[in-house]
Amino acid sequence: MRKLIFLFALSALVQNLHAQELFTYTEPASNMASRSMGFRMTSTLMTERPTAVVNTHFNPEIMVGISKRWMFHLDAFISNRAGEWEAEGGSIYIKRRFYSIDDVHSHFRMAAIGRFSFNNSDIHQEAVDLNGHNSGLELGLIATQLLHKVALSGTISYIQGTENVGEKFYTKDVKLNRRALGFTFSTGKLFLPKSYQDYNQLNVNGMVEWIGQTNLNSGNTFLDVSPVLQFIIKSRMRLDLGYRIPVSNRLSRTAPGGGLIRFEYNIFNAF
Amino acid sequence: MKTIISFISAFFIFIVSANAQVSKINLQASGLTCSMCSNAINKSLKTLSFIDNIKSNIKESEFEIQIKPNSKVDFSAVKKKVEDAGFFVAKMEAIVDLQNVNIENDAHIDFQGDVLHFMNVKPRLLNGLTQIRFLDKGYVSAKEYKKNSTMTSMNCFRSGKTILCCEGKHQKAGQTLYHVTL
Repeated sequence: MRKLIFLFALSALVQNLHAQELFTYTEPASNMASRSMGFRMTSTLMTERPTAVVNTHFNPEIMVGISKRWMFHLDAFISNRAGEWEAEGGSIYIKRRFYSIDDVHSHFRMAAIGRFSFNNSDIHQEAVDLNGHNSGLELGLIATQLLHKVALSGTISYIQGTENVGEKFYTKDVKLNRRALGFTFSTGKLFLPKSYQDYNQLNVNGMVEWIGQTNLNSGNTFLDVSPVLQFIIKSRMRLDLGYRIPVSNRLSRTAPGGGLIRFEYNIFNAF
Repeated sequence: MKTIISFISAFFIFIVSANAQVSKINLQASGLTCSMCSNAINKSLKTLSFIDNIKSNIKESEFEIQIKPNSKVDFSAVKKKVEDAGFFVAKMEAIVDLQNVNIENDAHIDFQGDVLHFMNVKPRLLNGLTQIRFLDKGYVSAKEYKKNSTMTSMNCFRSGKTILCCEGKHQKAGQTLYHVTL
């Protein structure tokens, strides 16, 4: 409980300066620019319980801004979780921004998202994770408030897990419990530069992201908190370093905590 | 044939340059605080052929846009490029070179093939570099647009269309119309 209060206090502290909403574990309601493309490589190192074996996941991703309202991501999941390197599946993520009230240095925006994932790995936990573990569908809403000094972003989504390709290793519980409610809450702060001069300055952002899920069949919930340090280079590249810490783990996962490293490169006016 | 076309275009350019030059556009975008967002607008604007160079003030989300000499400026394309980057125009001003043009309140002048509708101005003669500020929806904040609509009783401001109230005189239906003030 004390840990929880400390982490909430940390989130509140982060809200106190210039805000940034280029989140790592979640997406903001804002879209990338029309006709721009982004390329990402994410690697996560997750510690398996109780064996303490570290599973490495690689997650290449292409992001495309189709118009000012529509964008999509395509990604693939590769990991050594099953003992050797395997391409486990992929997903398509589509976002439509449908509401926007903007003022100078502030906005409130909302977006609808949809994600379809397929995966051929064995299902081994009750949590439905479309980011590399389960096949399924997610539909959700994102709301993002940017005020001059505060950025808050929340997502709520319905997640329906389906059978993984090849229908491997279902336990009875996992097979029954495939509907879930996902929720996230993120906040971010710009540490550097103190004053913007040009596009070549290195930007350093700090973020705290909360990620949770409640299984709608069993009622079990997990909640994680992820501090993130982010570097933006030449206003077009990003290096994110994050760490996911389970705060509550009633909803079972085999490897809930671990580190993340991501590199992203953006091309404006790509097509 | 080619000679005729180039002669005509040269003549057209001459008219444009003699009558109505845009030297600079100053715009402020809304909805952003980060440098990557500002760069998205910067890169989006740079695809416009009539733009020479852009000076960005990332902190204030302001862009000082130099226009290539003798070019026709499409102001609505500037607005569209900001919106394509995912943001909005909060303020837009243009520095234009007008040669002996008489303006009146709620009256039009021809400008580079488009029409400028002046609002909240006293009748006067404009000669030389003049700063005009755009008042239309999408060129100001939503709040300011509401305030601006009290400046005129003419329908074109609310409808955003040129022909409903502004037909006749020397303007043709379908011309792009911008509401501006000094």
